[in-house]
Amino acid sequence: MSFLAPLFFAGLAALAVPILVHLTHKERKDVVVFPSLMFLSRIPYQAVRKQRIRHWLLFALRCLALIFLALAFARPFLDRPAAAAPVRSLGARELVILLDRSYSMDYGDRWSRAVAAAKRAVAGLGGSDRASLVTFDATATATTEPTADQGVLTAALAGIKPGAGATRYETAFKLAQRILADSKLPRREVLLISDFQRVGWDGRDSPSLPAGTTVNQVDLADAKTSNVAVTGVDFRRDYAEDRERVAITARLVNRSAEPRAGHPVTLELNGRAVETKQVNVAANAAATVDFAAVPLPAGTTRGVVRLGADALPRDNAFYFAISRGQALSVLVIDGREGGAPRSLYVERALGIGDQPNFRVTTKRLGSVTASDLAGRSLILLNDSDLPGGDLGRRLVEYVQNGGGLLVALGDRAAPRDRPAYASQLLPATADAAVDRSADRGGTLGYIDRSHPIFELFSAPRSGDFSTPRFFRYRSITPAPGDEQLARFDDGHIALLERKVGRGRVLVWASSFDGIWNDLPLQPVFLPVAHQMAKYAAAYADERPWSIVGQVANLPSIFRDSTGPGDAATKAEYVAVAPSGERTRLEGTTRRSVELREQGFYELQRAGSRGEPRVVAVNVDLAESDLTAVEPQLLTGAMIARAGADSTSLAVEASTPVELERRQGFWWYLLAAVLLLLVGETLLSNQLSRRIAVPR
Amino acid sequence: MTSNPLPGIQFLDPAVLARIGNLELVARTVVEGFLGGLHRSPHLGTSIDFAEHRAYMPGDDIRRIDWRLYGRVDRYYIKEYEADTNTNFNVLLDVSKSMSFGSGAVTKLDYARTLAACLAYFSNQQRDRVGLITWDEDLVEIVPPSAKHLPNVLHALARAAPQRPGNIERVFRKLTEQFKRRSMLLVISDFYEDPGKILDAFAQLRGRGNDLMAMHVLDTAELEFPYDGATSFEDIETGERIPVIPEYLRDQYRTMIRAHTERIEKLCGDQGVDYWLFDTSMPLDYALFAFLSRRQFLTRVR
Repeated sequence: MSFLAPLFFAGLAALAVPILVHLTHKERKDVVVFPSLMFLSRIPYQAVRKQRIRHWLLFALRCLALIFLALAFARPFLDRPAAAAPVRSLGARELVILLDRSYSMDYGDRWSRAVAAAKRAVAGLGGSDRASLVTFDATATATTEPTADQGVLTAALAGIKPGAGATRYETAFKLAQRILADSKLPRREVLLISDFQRVGWDGRDSPSLPAGTTVNQVDLADAKTSNVAVTGVDFRRDYAEDRERVAITARLVNRSAEPRAGHPVTLELNGRAVETKQVNVAANAAATVDFAAVPLPAGTTRGVVRLGADALPRDNAFYFAISRGQALSVLVIDGREGGAPRSLYVERALGIGDQPNFRVTTKRLGSVTASDLAGRSLILLNDSDLPGGDLGRRLVEYVQNGGGLLVALGDRAAPRDRPAYASQLLPATADAAVDRSADRGGTLGYIDRSHPIFELFSAPRSGDFSTPRFFRYRSITPAPGDEQLARFDDGHIALLERKVGRGRVLVWASSFDGIWNDLPLQPVFLPVAHQMAKYAAAYADERPWSIVGQVANLPSIFRDSTGPGDAATKAEYVAVAPSGERTRLEGTTRRSVELREQGFYELQRAGSRGEPRVVAVNVDLAESDLTAVEPQLLTGAMIARAGADSTSLAVEASTPVELERRQGFWWYLLAAVLLLLVGETLLSNQLSRRIAVPR
Repeated sequence: MTSNPLPGIQFLDPAVLARIGNLELVARTVVEGFLGGLHRSPHLGTSIDFAEHRAYMPGDDIRRIDWRLYGRVDRYYIKEYEADTNTNFNVLLDVSKSMSFGSGAVTKLDYARTLAACLAYFSNQQRDRVGLITWDEDLVEIVPPSAKHLPNVLHALARAAPQRPGNIERVFRKLTEQFKRRSMLLVISDFYEDPGKILDAFAQLRGRGNDLMAMHVLDTAELEFPYDGATSFEDIETGERIPVIPEYLRDQYRTMIRAHTERIEKLCGDQGVDYWLFDTSMPLDYALFAFLSRRQFLTRVR
């Protein structure tokens, strides 16, 4: 018999109370009125004779009630469950130790308690028992094969530390299921050592453990937790005098019942603390911290937002990597000289917005030179003829090398005068325009909403394409390989995509000038123009950070620097993890690296001496929510899914707290106290009546 | 709603009266009464209350012939007189505050009032003149003895209310002047006084030739002291309080109260005063019957 809170035995000092009460004979408040005190007053008052306990039964009841009360508060429990002894004689067992190594196990002393519990389990192995150690966070790994060698298991335990991953119980149980299914031993047992975070289990996909499996648990959750985490950062860029500045805002959350005042938050850029602020965060609330705008240096900038220390350090730092050059350079060729410019709407549309920022340059066809194409992300032929001669050849090369070309076919884009190379870039187009002015204009009849351009409008009430009226448009004849992204209501192609080399060509069958259609006057014009420009320019949103567990696809990261063709997929790469671990990626099959650590990964082509690509990796912030699920709920789900034949499944406790909670002797003791107090009340009332009423 | 036609009639318990109906309350001393054969009177002769005339019969005392009537009608007539009430029967009832004590349903005063009422009625049936004096530290109410004062006595008994402490010595000194004729005096009290002082008070009345009876009325709780548990005891008359652990004092108390009653009884016996201790838990008819029987026995012995 042991006690969880033996200090409560100090309460036994209260036994002095009934002893004093019974020895003192507290004088009753009611006074006995007597005819005369002439005899009583003659008898000397003998105080010494009071030191004698009367009513021994009442005294015993009161003392027992106090003793039981102290026992109940001391939380007694039996060290070894009664069921353990008979089970031991049932034969060898296959034990799978599931050790949670998610980063929440770094909270306080959870990890040391977890390792101690695992060591106790290893030490408790019988001669014929076998055990395997499985560590898990989002993924599960069998650290050891099933073995009876306690030394192997203990050594494996010594080399494990909490990782940066989030908890997923399903993966751990699936691995345990496989190990137990392969075992021939008569008894199967799973020991789950975890902090039982609610986010780790969604109540679904619980694997079925083999029938007869015993699930033991070591609950390391703390009753009261306190944690502040950085949940993300936002960037606001601005450009002034060709200098790019960024203002960073950090988002914080306080996941505790107590507010935090004056919590320090520091912004570090390239390893240097730029600014530190003190922030107040209310209990169970979020807050934001705005840092002053700073100029972005050339290359990739490594940034970290750090919080002051708390019990869970992993989520106190938030890593990100940002770089300059997120503006798309767009060259608008607005027909030949002489006519009125028709690029007003499209210029205005692209001039709005900063994700990305479009830097638009408009030129007449005659004034465009080959050097104008250099460095452009997108060239927009806005109702213009195709350039001829060397400029035309350069244009084809530009597209083939990954440049984007967007062509709007208005009345000035005469198909009959196209140069010879035009067929590489554009589909065949009829001379005569389709005139829909007689029926008050046509509309868009089909849009491929699964295409990246129109994916943005796939949600309900997110873009009304029924209102634009198209009075004239060109009839396009697609070539094999061309992709039709939109069609008018009469079946003519409205938007067509052609891939040329590494570049993309988008052909819009009408104009952007508001003459052949009223699209520029409709609300949907702005997002459509942006989406067309971004897609044609192959713009990809910058990912300032990734999450632990995600995969970095190196060919896509290095696509812009490895040249055309499949050179990127054949290159060799080197990945350096935040811990300094180098990984060489060779061959054509291993093209990606799993991001397992928190911090900055450096990725580089093998042999290259240039600046490495930086990928910032953060922990999954769902894990920073330390709310625990009831262990019985989780293990009970395993029992329920094991089927009706799993009657031998049992959830047993291993820690003193669990043993005590399961045995619950204190309930019985409190019930006994209640009964004793009832008996004491009845008895003392009876005695009081005897005292008050003369016999 | 019912109401008693006569205040105090509730103290006349039919059961008690039936039980003692065949007894007599006879004065053990010579008292100033005229009832022939029942009490010995110091006066010889006849009654003074005329009743009727009847014709002379041979053998009649010729001194009782009414000569004035013979002068008018020339016949001998004898004057008949009503039988004289024999003596005064006075009840001296203690109505001090200590008499209000009662551990059960009946207080000592209730018990004493019933006792007094029954004996007064009984005595009145014997044609004694009955009177009542209630007292505490002083005289409270006096009903002079008379053959017709039974209702007054009962009324006074009903009005009696304990209010003040008692002082038997001072009261009885006053009473010495009250009784001009020798009477039967019945003292009913709890006698919380020094026995010597009580007997001094009795002696003053006995010295006047009165026949004195003392009825000592005590509650069972006063005799047995059955209390338990430490508490304070308050004197009902003085309000004084003392802490008491009854279980430790019980034996001593019982010894003391027993010695007190025995002392009074002995001193009363020495003075020729009939003494009887009444426990209020004792049925009244039984107690009264025992008292009267014993008194009759003592009278015959004498």
